Amino acid sequence: MGGAKQALAEVSEGPDAVTGEVAPAAGEAARPAAAGWKILPIVEGLVLLVALFLPLVLQDYLTVFATRVVILALFAISFDLVWGYAGIMSFGQALFFGAAGYGVALLARDLGVTSILLILPAGALIGLTAALLLGGFLLLGRYPSSVIFVSLGTLTGSYAADRLARGWYYLGGQNGIPSIPPLSLGSIDISEGPVYYYLALGILVVIYLLCRFLVRSQFGLALAGLRENEQRIAFFGYKAQHLKAIIFAIGGTIAGLAGSLYAFHEGFVWPNMLGVVFSTQVVLYVLFGGSGTLIGAVIGTVIIEGVSFWLSDNYRDVWPIILGVLLLLVIMFRPLGLISFVLGERERVGSFGKVPKESR
Amino acid sequence: MATSFAAAFEIVSFGAIIVLVVLGLGIIASMMGIFNFAQGEFVLLGAYVTYLASAHGVPIWAGMVAAPFVVGALGFVLEALIIRRFYAAPIVAMLGTYALGLIIRESVRGLIGGFYLTVPEPIGGSIDLGSIHISAWRFTIIVITLLVMAACYLLLARTSFGLRVRATLENPALARASGISTPLIYGATFAFGAALAGLAGALIVPVFSLFADLGIRFLIQGFVAVMVGGVGSFIGPVAGAGVIGTLSAALPWVMSPVVADVLVFVLAIAFIKFRPQGLIAGKGV
Repeated sequence: MGGAKQALAEVSEGPDAVTGEVAPAAGEAARPAAAGWKILPIVEGLVLLVALFLPLVLQDYLTVFATRVVILALFAISFDLVWGYAGIMSFGQALFFGAAGYGVALLARDLGVTSILLILPAGALIGLTAALLLGGFLLLGRYPSSVIFVSLGTLTGSYAADRLARGWYYLGGQNGIPSIPPLSLGSIDISEGPVYYYLALGILVVIYLLCRFLVRSQFGLALAGLRENEQRIAFFGYKAQHLKAIIFAIGGTIAGLAGSLYAFHEGFVWPNMLGVVFSTQVVLYVLFGGSGTLIGAVIGTVIIEGVSFWLSDNYRDVWPIILGVLLLLVIMFRPLGLISFVLGERERVGSFGKVPKESR
Repeated sequence: MATSFAAAFEIVSFGAIIVLVVLGLGIIASMMGIFNFAQGEFVLLGAYVTYLASAHGVPIWAGMVAAPFVVGALGFVLEALIIRRFYAAPIVAMLGTYALGLIIRESVRGLIGGFYLTVPEPIGGSIDLGSIHISAWRFTIIVITLLVMAACYLLLARTSFGLRVRATLENPALARASGISTPLIYGATFAFGAALAGLAGALIVPVFSLFADLGIRFLIQGFVAVMVGGVGSFIGPVAGAGVIGTLSAALPWVMSPVVADVLVFVLAIAFIKFRPQGLIAGKGV
């Protein structure tokens, strides 16, 4: 952790630190000693390699499943940015995912818009708007909000949205909005299958790289500092609340993007997408894989969804119990997630999840 | 007149149910600083114990008496094995208790299947006041809630155990230095909170019937109530529960239930934002 502190000290002298502008040169200089940077790129490369060739060996129905996992991984990254990097417990991340899903579903149903060039920006915009509204309300203000308030506030927001969607006839009530037409580009329909898979994977890779750049930038280091010690960052002259609101909005945007992809992939949206079910699901992915590393979020999603798919035929009833036990074990004994088995402390500098030593 | 009285009874009786559920949640949150996401599942377990009793021919009231002891004992064990590790980090505690809740809930789901199982009321029938009929069991719940509230208050405010609990809350290091075994106090407090949840589950199961998601229904409402009331005292969460329970039951009488449902949450969050200390600020009882 010494590296991180040193890096933070360097960052604090950056001229545009307060605005949160990304300054690649400073980010480069702020990197700790290059000695330990080995395993992470290998893991990332391996995952990408497998993902690239997966549809060639999978049967069609498995490709459809793999597409769903890729989209959920995008969703997991959005949560990981907010919790793993900035330390904001967004227990209602599905609000943005589901709101964007419902939004684009309405666009398709009522206005007949299915063009990917409109749908994806619209989804991202809905996510951004929702996150700005909720995040602005919960995070900004004269007094800093407590972590508990933010986590319960986001959870309540997601739960309330779920209840609203269930009761509102216009949104289809319990059943949601069925039979959304396929996504299109010009006159070509993008329906589920390898094409959709590569589309989702392409978006995931682009977003992943952007996020990777972001969290290694000066802004990312400021976030890491925020997470470790908010007060100290505030003393450095950063507007801690603004940093939080910005990353929360970015997380919401990505969740919105994922939500719109998911809505068109599944062909329908339903209230669970907004509510506690998806919100907690994404927390499970990230905690399990390893919060504070982007690849951990992806791996967690793949493992949980994969195992649950594999077990769903024979052990459907037992699986949630096993999942709970595994999660409890991870939280108790591996707070940094599965990725920490292969990734050393040093490579995760700028990561979060280290439980403070017992103080009582 | 008759309708408005019936409405008032509905509102009070739902308020009492929320207070009952929140009591344990509030005590754990206030006295230990832990937001226990497994609390809803403790309610579920209390309901399940009562159901087991009635399914095996044991008198239901016996099941209801047993439920808080069973759930309290489980809470004590869980605290010693798991919860104890989380005191330093409130968010990790949330996640850990969530995982715990998931395990309990899915186990119960496996045991009862996806059914809604009914449990008969130990005191059936209705109380007739002229032309008005009110459910005898719901009336009993109100009475028991008042009694339990009074007992909890007396326990925390007037007994030496309560003094130790409050001392541990206020200043753990000093409490330890004064010879109080803080781990034991934490264990006992958590068990007590769990037992209250078990009692709540046992009492409400005849009203709501038993299903695996029984606890979730109350969990978020409970948390909001605790925050509205104010964390840190005994009376705060109870007051919050009264407000939230009354509002959730009263608003649907004057507006569409969907809007009322969401409005309660929006109002509550806005209230907490502008008054983070809650209705009743301060620590203690």
